[in-house]
Amino acid sequence: MYEVKILTGNETAAYAAMNSKARVVAAYPITPVTPVVETISKLVEEGRMHAKFIRVESEHSAMAACIGASAAGSRAFTATSSHGLAYMHEMLHWATNARTPIVMAVANRAIGPGWNIWADLGDALSQRDTGWIQFYCSNNQEIYDTIAMAYKLAEDRKVLLPAMVCYDGFVLSHTSMPVELTEFDDFLSEYEPVWKLDAENPFTHGNILPPEDFAELRHNIQRSHDRALKLMKKIEEEFFELYGRRTPLILEEYKMEDAEKVIVTMGAIGSEAKVAVDSLREKKVKAGLVRLKSFRPFPEKELRNLLEDKKVYVFDRAISPGSGGPLYNELKSALAFSPVKRIIPKIVGIGGIDVTKRTFERAIFERKVWIKEVVS
Amino acid sequence: MLISVRFHGRGGQGAVTASKLLAEVANSMGYYSQSMPFFGAERRGAPVISFTRISDEPIYEMSQVYHPNIVVVLDPLIMKVVDVFAGVKEGGTIVANTTKTPDEFVFSQRYLNIIAVDATGIAIKNDLLVAGLPVVNTPMLGALLRAQIPLEIEVLEGIVGKKFGEEGEKNVKAIREAYDLATVKLVRGSGKRKYPRKKKIKVEFPISTPSEGVAGKTKLWRDFRPKIDYEKCNNCLNCWLHCPESAIRLNEHVEIDYDYCKGCLVCTTVCPKKAITFEREVFADV
Repeated sequence: MYEVKILTGNETAAYAAMNSKARVVAAYPITPVTPVVETISKLVEEGRMHAKFIRVESEHSAMAACIGASAAGSRAFTATSSHGLAYMHEMLHWATNARTPIVMAVANRAIGPGWNIWADLGDALSQRDTGWIQFYCSNNQEIYDTIAMAYKLAEDRKVLLPAMVCYDGFVLSHTSMPVELTEFDDFLSEYEPVWKLDAENPFTHGNILPPEDFAELRHNIQRSHDRALKLMKKIEEEFFELYGRRTPLILEEYKMEDAEKVIVTMGAIGSEAKVAVDSLREKKVKAGLVRLKSFRPFPEKELRNLLEDKKVYVFDRAISPGSGGPLYNELKSALAFSPVKRIIPKIVGIGGIDVTKRTFERAIFERKVWIKEVVS
Repeated sequence: MLISVRFHGRGGQGAVTASKLLAEVANSMGYYSQSMPFFGAERRGAPVISFTRISDEPIYEMSQVYHPNIVVVLDPLIMKVVDVFAGVKEGGTIVANTTKTPDEFVFSQRYLNIIAVDATGIAIKNDLLVAGLPVVNTPMLGALLRAQIPLEIEVLEGIVGKKFGEEGEKNVKAIREAYDLATVKLVRGSGKRKYPRKKKIKVEFPISTPSEGVAGKTKLWRDFRPKIDYEKCNNCLNCWLHCPESAIRLNEHVEIDYDYCKGCLVCTTVCPKKAITFEREVFADV
């Protein structure tokens, strides 16, 4: 049984951590993710969430505490955003190489200065090489489901990697919508670590590794990402059978059967893009949508199959200065030897510019790469 | 069916809560709903907007509402700086917290339904005050339900009653009062009001200097206007010392700078001679 509640993305993430049985939460508040931390501390205080809540002095320490907790055999959770995520950077690498399956909620926000608290995927995308699995959500129900699914995936013996569940700051973090608060008992049991720190049987963890062994460790992490992709399909199916919700982990397609012009994007604007596709189809444009959910691992093969012979418009809500849209660049290299008609970059929604269905329409009909105003 | 609602208010009046409450009412009546606040300066008194979408189909829009069916204006003075009529669909509805009558509104649409209610008055009467300032969101929702919207006042009362605990009863009373007292009228548009145009700023380096913000002078944040009675004032400077905005000037006598006074009323509390009184801004402004 479950109840349907009107929740913000942040509240949703907190409830998901509770129902996914996270047992240690170490976090430091930052706009726009603070309500996750507030809600969790309230749930712990009320005795509804059985977890140890650790107040830390920084995001760097928050991740360090999560790594410690995970290594000691607990399911660990944290949440951050923007500058907080940037401050965590060193520990993000650490969590991957230590093979600690931590799950973290990230409310995507721009990085200053030019102080900006609004949505921009640049904070998480600039962590793409840390080895974390990265999911980008498009509505609150998806945030809820993905956090549980991320634990299932991350903790699998074949994977053992940390995972970020990202959602656009304010656009999702502060927007309320109905969320089915399913209990995950059938899907996710208590964390059973493959190994854990144990005072009775002492061993070192994260010790010095000579070059050949280090290369093996890194190669194994790459292999784990490959295996994670395969496992995602299985988890999607299992989740659907249990709860009847098709929550994608790899990607979501919309009206792709006969599509000629395809929007490829990630995050909340991937939901708005559905409205844009409908609107374009009314104007006799054969539009379709591929909303990428998993940016790491990057599902090259799946994208190649879907985008063959299409004209592809890549909408990035982030910019890698000196190079271009991060998603555009990844996709361009993935499709390098495929018979794709054209692949066209678009930069939208930077620093929280509202992205409407008309933004997509204008971007497709016009040549401009950057859309720097609200198209209402 | 897709009904979109835009709320205009100021930080502290409860626009964000109102927008979420409306989504909850719609959801509990079997509709899909979404409540999307926009956050800028998260400060008491700063202009705030929030949006609610209600639909009988799943809602995929994740952008703000630019062409609302209904606009709720929680602040009586915000119309001076914000074009609350912008983008409102022909035949749409404006629900205004005002002491004016529906015919006094100026807009460029051909016809709009105007629902006028003195929600501030109702809030004061029902003691809906937070930190001494009236919170008008629940009575405004009561008035909103007089619009063409398939939501029932009993459901709103139920949700508010449950959610607000001890304060529930007062809020429910205010909702009913606003619903009953609101004047509803179809009004013909009589032209366009002029608004200060937003200055286009070219950003090359992230540097700036202090200036009047895009929302205009902060005097427009006031619900109440403090007034010094110079017969009683002995110029002890207590108000000058305590004013958080430095909006009390020292000339021969203490003087309130009404351009920047936000109406927090700290001065009225700290005055040992009780020489500073206050009145509602809407009445003082006339």
